[in-house]
Amino acid sequence: MIAAIAERAARGTLFQALDIGHPLYAAVTDPQTAFWALVDKTRIHEAGRDPALLAAYGAMVEQFSRELHALRFGLKPSGVYLNPTERCNLNCTYCYLPDSQRSSGSHMPVETLLASLGKLRDYFRSVMPADRKPRAIFHGAEPLMNQAAVFAAIDAFADDFVFGLQTNGTLLDDAALDFLTSRNVSIGLSLDGPVAGITDATRRTWGGKSVHDKVLRAMEKLRGYGSWSVITTCTTENLPYLTHMVELFHANEVPTCMLNTLRCTLPGARGVKPADGDMGKAFFVALDRTYELYQETGRKLMVANFANILIGILAPTARRLMCDISPCGGGRAFFALAADGSLYPCSEFIGLPRFNGGSLLTGGVEAALDSAAFREVTTRDVDRFSPCGDCAIRHFCGSPCPAEAFEMNGGMDKIGAFCDFYKEQVNYALRLIADGKADDYLWDGWDEGTETIFVMS
Amino acid sequence: MPKIVSQVASNTVETQPTAAQHAQPVAPTIAIRKSCNPDGIGLSHYVLMDRKAAK
Repeated sequence: MIAAIAERAARGTLFQALDIGHPLYAAVTDPQTAFWALVDKTRIHEAGRDPALLAAYGAMVEQFSRELHALRFGLKPSGVYLNPTERCNLNCTYCYLPDSQRSSGSHMPVETLLASLGKLRDYFRSVMPADRKPRAIFHGAEPLMNQAAVFAAIDAFADDFVFGLQTNGTLLDDAALDFLTSRNVSIGLSLDGPVAGITDATRRTWGGKSVHDKVLRAMEKLRGYGSWSVITTCTTENLPYLTHMVELFHANEVPTCMLNTLRCTLPGARGVKPADGDMGKAFFVALDRTYELYQETGRKLMVANFANILIGILAPTARRLMCDISPCGGGRAFFALAADGSLYPCSEFIGLPRFNGGSLLTGGVEAALDSAAFREVTTRDVDRFSPCGDCAIRHFCGSPCPAEAFEMNGGMDKIGAFCDFYKEQVNYALRLIADGKADDYLWDGWDEGTETIFVMS
Repeated sequence: MPKIVSQVASNTVETQPTAAQHAQPVAPTIAIRKSCNPDGIGLSHYVLMDRKAAK
């Protein structure tokens, strides 16, 4: 392998060089293994001939290659997103689920949900180590529209799954919160604005009523709980207020937030899609503000979608989100169960019948994983299509999301919706590493359970 | 080594060292990689960041 490295270095094709916008450093990457190094920018043209760098990398390149290949192609599912209902009490502008399902769809009967979890438990036991529990996340539409079934399932399978719940927060009354927190269920909320007028621009009831204050009340009640987060979906409507969002979250002791780009899978989202440049500008100002708040108070607010990019660079296998890797985690690390009992690679595909992998109860998980519907997603490989195939950071980004690439851009061999924004996130992350600040943007102990296998500094 | 390329395609730049820059101390190369068994299952609609909480 060292010989192969030397040969590529001699041809000048080993590393791709990047200007990351740092005063001292530029980056070189070998995208084939997700290897990177920060080098003096005045010597960037010599990096491919640096004997110390080549020797160190050559000694590890085979291991890096195996590790990345296993992450991209060797995983077995360890989580499931459960959609216990098609219905939602909100009509958000950018939702990836069809209006007809959310307004007048069906609930999954409790008997079906319990039978489904039994079948899922048996599947996960067959592919996961005995000392790890699979994760089951109730997901939307709005899962608490079918609260009785959800709570029955959590109690019936308490020993078999680690449960999570992503909710719009409007149905989280005291009894529901007591139930969930007493069972250590991880809870995710959604809020799009620092004040009602901003949130209301994209997240309202079907009748147009504001839900902002209800989410704030849920946040207040969750303060101090160990496992909760809030998602802000970034749109043209709230982009100028992202800094106010992180200030609100920090003041409310939210431990983790996501400032997500909206998914452009369905046309409704595309009407409020920010341009990449605008998205980056607002996002990085907000990210800088979280750092200032940490410096001022000693308490971190994790911006999880950015933290995941940073972790994907520092420790590719430790990433928590499986959107920013190619193939993505859909149908590989996890899959989704729709309210009608069908399996999809990810909840993002539930509105797209082409990606239905068949029934859980009559067909099973293995059949779905092997279905043409799933394979269309699980074989989407950024190495194999342009422009990603030549991109220096393709395995830090993964060109998400396949659903929006397919629906918005016309195929699985197309890029996702925010290519330039991802590039700027990687630049930002590499600058933090150059400045020794990366840990300030990650939760304490993020690397527990990891092993440092390469260091040059 | 190919030319150094900005991540934003419309802003391609080249960085050539000047004599003055060559006279400055060279910044040390930085590279880090950590490894573990992968167990992430988060997606953009849900995230659990703490590995311990995921057990």
